[in-house]
Amino acid sequence: MEAAQALREDTFPKLLARNARVRGDRPAIRHKDLGIWQTWSWAEVYANVRALAASYHALGLERGDTIAIIGANRPKLYWSMMAAQMLGAIPVPVYADAVADEMAYVLEHAQVKLAAVQDQEQVDKILSISDRLHYLKYIAYDWGRGLRDYDHARLRSIEELIQQGRKSLQDKAVSAALDASMAAGKGADTSVILYTSGTTGRSKGVMLSAERCINAATDSVAFDKLNDRDEVLAYLPLAWVGDHYMNYAQGLVAGYCMSCPESAETVQQDLREIGPTFYFAPPRVFESLLTRVMIRMEDASAPKRKMFHYFIGVAKKYGEKILNGESVPLSGRLMYELGNLLVYAPLKNVLGFSRMRVGYTAGEAIGPELFSFYRSLGLNLKQLYGQTEAFLYVTVQPDGQIRADTVGPLAPNVEVKISPEGEVLFKSPGMFLGYFRDEDRTAETLTPDGFIKTGDAGFFEPQSGHLKIIDRAKDVGKLANGDLFPPKYVENKLKFYPNIKEAVAFGDQRDAVTCFINIDITAVGNWAERNNVVYGSYQELAGHPLVYDMIAAHVNEVNRSLAQEPMMAGAQIKRFLILHKELDADDGELTRTQKVRRGFIAERYQPLIDALYNGSQEADISTEVTFEDGRKGMISARVKIRDCDIVPVSARSKAA
Amino acid sequence: MDASVQTKTHNLAKGDTLLAVDNVSLSFGGVKAITDVSFDIKKGEIRAIIGPNGAGKTSMLNVINGFYHPQQGRITFKGETRQKMRPYVAASQGIARTFQNVALFKGMTTLDNIMAGRTLKMNTGFFWQLWRHGPAMREEVEHRHIVEEIIDFLEIQAIRKTPVGKLPYGLQKRVELGRALAMEPELLLLDEPMAGMNLEEKEDMSRFIIDVNTQYGTTIALIEHDISVVMDLSDRVVVLEYGRKIADGTPNQVKNDQTVIDAYLGVPH
Amino acid sequence: MHVLYMVLIDPFVQMVSAPDLFIQTIWEGLVAGVLYALIALGFVLIFKASGVFNFAQGMMVVFAGLTLIAFQDMGLPAIVALAASIGVMYLLAFSIERVVLRPLVNQPDIILFMATFGITYLLIGFGEMIFGGEPKEVNTKAFWLPQGSIEFPVLGGFVQMQKIDIAAAIIAGLMIAALAFFFQKTRIGRALRAVADSHKAALSVGISLNQIWVIVWFAAGIVALVAGIMWGARSNVSFALQVVALKALPVLILGGFTSIPGAIIGGLIIGVGEKLGEFYWGPLMGGGIESWLAYFIALGFLLFRPQGLFGDKIIERI
Repeated sequence: MEAAQALREDTFPKLLARNARVRGDRPAIRHKDLGIWQTWSWAEVYANVRALAASYHALGLERGDTIAIIGANRPKLYWSMMAAQMLGAIPVPVYADAVADEMAYVLEHAQVKLAAVQDQEQVDKILSISDRLHYLKYIAYDWGRGLRDYDHARLRSIEELIQQGRKSLQDKAVSAALDASMAAGKGADTSVILYTSGTTGRSKGVMLSAERCINAATDSVAFDKLNDRDEVLAYLPLAWVGDHYMNYAQGLVAGYCMSCPESAETVQQDLREIGPTFYFAPPRVFESLLTRVMIRMEDASAPKRKMFHYFIGVAKKYGEKILNGESVPLSGRLMYELGNLLVYAPLKNVLGFSRMRVGYTAGEAIGPELFSFYRSLGLNLKQLYGQTEAFLYVTVQPDGQIRADTVGPLAPNVEVKISPEGEVLFKSPGMFLGYFRDEDRTAETLTPDGFIKTGDAGFFEPQSGHLKIIDRAKDVGKLANGDLFPPKYVENKLKFYPNIKEAVAFGDQRDAVTCFINIDITAVGNWAERNNVVYGSYQELAGHPLVYDMIAAHVNEVNRSLAQEPMMAGAQIKRFLILHKELDADDGELTRTQKVRRGFIAERYQPLIDALYNGSQEADISTEVTFEDGRKGMISARVKIRDCDIVPVSARSKAA
Repeated sequence: MDASVQTKTHNLAKGDTLLAVDNVSLSFGGVKAITDVSFDIKKGEIRAIIGPNGAGKTSMLNVINGFYHPQQGRITFKGETRQKMRPYVAASQGIARTFQNVALFKGMTTLDNIMAGRTLKMNTGFFWQLWRHGPAMREEVEHRHIVEEIIDFLEIQAIRKTPVGKLPYGLQKRVELGRALAMEPELLLLDEPMAGMNLEEKEDMSRFIIDVNTQYGTTIALIEHDISVVMDLSDRVVVLEYGRKIADGTPNQVKNDQTVIDAYLGVPH
Repeated sequence: MHVLYMVLIDPFVQMVSAPDLFIQTIWEGLVAGVLYALIALGFVLIFKASGVFNFAQGMMVVFAGLTLIAFQDMGLPAIVALAASIGVMYLLAFSIERVVLRPLVNQPDIILFMATFGITYLLIGFGEMIFGGEPKEVNTKAFWLPQGSIEFPVLGGFVQMQKIDIAAAIIAGLMIAALAFFFQKTRIGRALRAVADSHKAALSVGISLNQIWVIVWFAAGIVALVAGIMWGARSNVSFALQVVALKALPVLILGGFTSIPGAIIGGLIIGVGEKLGEFYWGPLMGGGIESWLAYFIALGFLLFRPQGLFGDKIIERI
């Protein structure tokens, strides 16, 4: 029934109109402002979006034009997307934390005519690059603070645009023209362009069509039985496919309400207040939540701490079995219930997960223990594997088939094959139309028979039919002796430790694996405080001998675990060092989605890699860093190197 | 913040003298802290007071808001001349301030700290307070709204309910500014608002100071050590040395003044 | 060996063999503890807001009690007498602020402490002049406080409770709840906490220290009045009571000088500890243990936890 309707409504504005008609009084979007949650119903949102569309049209936004959306998750920015789509224009969400240079590239490449932005910071950024933006006519802003004295020749307040639009819509002709424009929208048209940050080279603009987006979202809404009583917190970057899928597309299809946090720093509190029923977060969010819980527990009183650890033990033993519907002895069930009363329920409440029905994680591999931890508390956390080019889902774990080490069987209506080289190829309901203004790379990505290359190496597990992802296809390397070297696999094992925030492994064509490590300043800083380790800066803490000892112990443990796996035993880490600074997207070391840019790092820290392989005990490094406002500075350090225990070759020769 | 937080203009226009100190001298026992200093602060400007350590800058602020009572001289605020200020009078006449080493109510939350800044704006009597309904409740809600606007303005929503003693130093300074703003002051005295901050925090603080000044027309007098900040922010600068005024003028004038260069700018700090 | 047995084993054997007596003793301790807690509470209020250690708090209890009795003796109805006493306590707070605190502003704490000695002796002298030196009794019936006692069987024995004690505990509890509410939820409460945290910051936002001082001394006066009534209802009110009031000192050391919950729990612990000590260990030392045991416990605390159970932790970062 829902599916049939969705087919009739083949664009997002049509879905919005339907929601206003079918569930006009239900909440559509919330935003915490001045400490109070403000709510707009579907009918109100529809009216505001129409008014905004009329004003954007008056500013010259036409069918096929593009409009940049820059900022945090704010109602008016989401409305700007809907308003643009109502006119047949294409929204281009851009990462709000992109530095001016990156933003200039995307805005110019996407040929945006308008930019809807959050605040002064973004306005300033755009004004600073305006000489490079040849298509941009107007900037509309959500929050006017600090902008009062700006030249308003090209600046508009979204609030005022809505007011003006409302007035102009009183004219029947304007209103009818807008309705006609919405009706003229076709499902096959490009609905949105999502620029992927890409681990290499310039960003690519993934064009997604409305009907494909809606088809994919309709499938997943049915798959997880979502409806208009569900609640989500929209806190992920607007430009990321995850936000556009989970909050925008699914929200419009299922008609549920999304809540926009007060600010990026309040997400945790807002989560607790809203208590979303459907939740999506990349593994690193789950990781930092767990780290924070553990730190708070370390500071708690001894009896509390003991109780916590005891019942977490109980959960480890029985929790997942209960969730999976397996048989559990009565005593176990009772202890679990008691634990729920004393520990799990309060903990879930603190984390904002009390009402969560379905939770997903994706984007990268999640540590198995981390995954089990949340599941053992009774949270229905699942994994999916997807891509922007697929409009997210390629595989997804249905209830009852949930595992930490696979990404699950195929999502509904998805086809996958594995290329002879081991690369995962797919066709999906939401698959993209191509890269915007980049036919070469579109052609590179598609196989002759129309499959999309994911660039990931993986295989289907024969007995279960689940897909297993090893690593980026081009990243899986070989050591000089021919042993397999999957860097990400090794790094993920390291990153499972709360003390390690990031790891970068090297070894392709080398005779051994070595590794850079970034410590987690929260976890290690807390440890330092408890152990009276005095430090003045990140750099000092990172170089502290005791910290090195602790990290070395983690690395040795990882080596032992690698040695257990026949294919991976050769990838044990021989030497490592702790970097003197945090890897940072502003310095180009991470992508905007916080993924490591291996090649760039290898180049930038060449002297350190040389030192890892030439046996020296320390090395000097000096690198350029970029501050948030674009200014640059130098940072230099002397970094120590440690040797690690390698589990003897006997285990390896057996495997070989 | 909207009109509710805007300062009342009274009958002073931008550029009129808001505060004047005339021939002020202050000493503790035999030690002279300030000797015969005169200067004025004009409505709507950002006025910097600079000088080497021990030049009497903080003492000057303490004289203006009534913590110290000068032995000689007069203070004229909004046309009213006094021999000395009293803290309560200063506060109720529209002078708010922050402190060099942050003086917050450490056991209270950010919200309560800023709420405390509303003390003088609250009118309901003691017994209504006990009852906490009717007028007192309505008043609490009104003031809470204004406080929330300040929280929004300073972007400290995430620490609304955090006891300020647990906050890092940079944020404490921001909360302290918030508490001063809650008084809707006509004259805001900032004693080294950026001391002990990192570069990013300094930039944020500068932005807030400029925003307060331009958007609400609040007159600001600040003491600051970072000379580049002073030159960027302020309209006029007073330079003190050993309790005496040695220069007064625009940042450029002061920067090129030979006495100032000798006394202060030339010496590394 | 015998001594060790008498000290370490025998008292516990007694406790177990006669549980009703044990419970009775604890109850007696709690009742005494409530009074200590009330007196300590007065100290904490003033100490928090002004940093002054008010030596006169004990004397204020006596003074408040005698004032009430005097009004009653004049034939005033109970409720009027109570209101008049509250008025007197306000007058007292007001005068102390005007005459003592205001002129001494910015003086070292020790000067203010000495000043409270002055207040103590002034109250004694003034009190004896007006009320006379002999002990007096509060007319409890006029306050609708219950008389007599209840008895109920416990573990094969009986425990007896004076109804007046039960009422005292309830009233004390209510008053503490009211104070907590006042501190946490009202503007004046916020101002009080502000002053307790930082005088200069409070001044800078226009909080009037003088007004706050009147309020805290008045609040401490009301607490003293309640303590005076409670004490007077059980036995007589006399100037000797102020020695008992000094028991608040070990209570404060136990509970922390700045913590209201600390004052309450500290008071109860000292009360119970004293009674148990007196009853079970007292005979070994020939009795009289009650008068010094509290100080002994406090001494132990000073050695191991100088900030008290609930006092502000003193953290110094290196």
